Amino acid sequence: MTLRSLLFIVLVGLVFAVLMGVAVRYLLRSRRSSQTTWEELLGRLVHLDREKIAAIAMDAIDDSQHETFLLEPDAIWTMLGGMDGLERLEKNCQVLIDLATYVQRWHPEALVVAEQLRLNAREIEWHVGRLKGAAQAGNLQTAFASYAQRAVATYYLMTRHVLELYEQVSFPELAELKQAI
Amino acid sequence: MAVIPLLVAIFACLCAIVDLISGATEPRRPPRTGVQSMGLSGVRQFLWATSFSSTCVLLAVLLLRKRAASLRAFTFLIAFYVAKTLVLFRLALHFGVQSRPYALTYWSLSYVDDAIQFVVFYELVKKVFCPTGVWARDTRRAFQWLVAASILLALGLAMLASPPTARWYETYLLRSNFFVSVLESGLFVGIMVLSSTVGLPWKTHAARVAQGFGACALSSMVLEGARNYFGLGPGRRAYGVVAYIETVIYIGCIGFWIVSLWQEAPAPRELPEAMLMQIYTLQRRVEGDLGRIRNWRRS
Repeated sequence: MTLRSLLFIVLVGLVFAVLMGVAVRYLLRSRRSSQTTWEELLGRLVHLDREKIAAIAMDAIDDSQHETFLLEPDAIWTMLGGMDGLERLEKNCQVLIDLATYVQRWHPEALVVAEQLRLNAREIEWHVGRLKGAAQAGNLQTAFASYAQRAVATYYLMTRHVLELYEQVSFPELAELKQAI
Repeated sequence: MAVIPLLVAIFACLCAIVDLISGATEPRRPPRTGVQSMGLSGVRQFLWATSFSSTCVLLAVLLLRKRAASLRAFTFLIAFYVAKTLVLFRLALHFGVQSRPYALTYWSLSYVDDAIQFVVFYELVKKVFCPTGVWARDTRRAFQWLVAASILLALGLAMLASPPTARWYETYLLRSNFFVSVLESGLFVGIMVLSSTVGLPWKTHAARVAQGFGACALSSMVLEGARNYFGLGPGRRAYGVVAYIETVIYIGCIGFWIVSLWQEAPAPRELPEAMLMQIYTLQRRVEGDLGRIRNWRRS
């Protein structure tokens, strides 16, 4: 047996084991997620003050207001609950995506909504990542206003997006969802 | 389009009847290899007959349960398998499996088979990832990476293989088959991962067909790897053993498809056109809002 043959057979075995492991893992994962109940999904949502989130987001988004960005960075920090609040918001993003994919079980067309949410969640992750980096570098105060408000506004739009999706497909659990997010 | 597999199936059935009436009972040319006219053992003949009949059953299920319209390339592939088996059967009967015409046809049809399999792969990917007819942006990018990574992995492993063979083209054939099986394994496992990540339904007919292909491709990777390791030595004993196992796995996959495609898939609730439009409008509006947020303090 040459070294090359030995290397070949070892690599084939290794690639097979990795591919098999990945396939089984994701097969089990998709089976588990297809069995997730509505209650389990809602149970994963971490509490965030909806009104404060809306206020921070609307401060940046709403054109109808005479002036935008009235909120000071300190006020945003307090309303949000600091970095903890941002991390909770980041966790909820995944639940929002799962809420959209929950609808996909019956309406595959909801894929476009889930796709948009995934992109938004990635954006929020990026903002939170920048803030964590700034916290380590001691620049949190200057960076917070810019990144945190942007993340909150994006999160707020994500929640609106999910609610409108549930409304459009006339999902029976809409009222419950409105209470939760 | 659904007419094509039907025509192929009819042609294949006609060939089978002709073979059964004329060829099988009374070969037109004297066989080269004695009583076992095809040069195949009893077990091998049994496996061949089982795989052929189960492929015919699968084709019948595709046509009778009206799956052919939504899985056109896959139906075409199955019809091709039926026709391929008949052609090879005919050649084996007349010339024997060790003959040159048989080998030439066998290898040529293998490449046609691979080409059709990639068309089937594309069909399945379109069905799984584009239920609206539009590729999700993040999914498309991930898919492009998946294809590139799978090609690189398959190329790397195929280059490393050095099967002990007597002729250059045998090396090429073994390596290219191995390349295809690694590529398909990577692609099918990749779409399994991608669809699980984006939460797409995994119980549709297209997804079931992809699962079967994934299992077949993974086992084929190991078997082709074994062929490349043992090569075509004297007596081709290892090659024959691998062929047995391959046929058994193929029959298993066909059985899985017959059962899955016979059953009804969970029917998606289709959104009315107006609601679908609302979802797209909503998406555009949110994209607009997000664009504004992204730009707001840049100026």
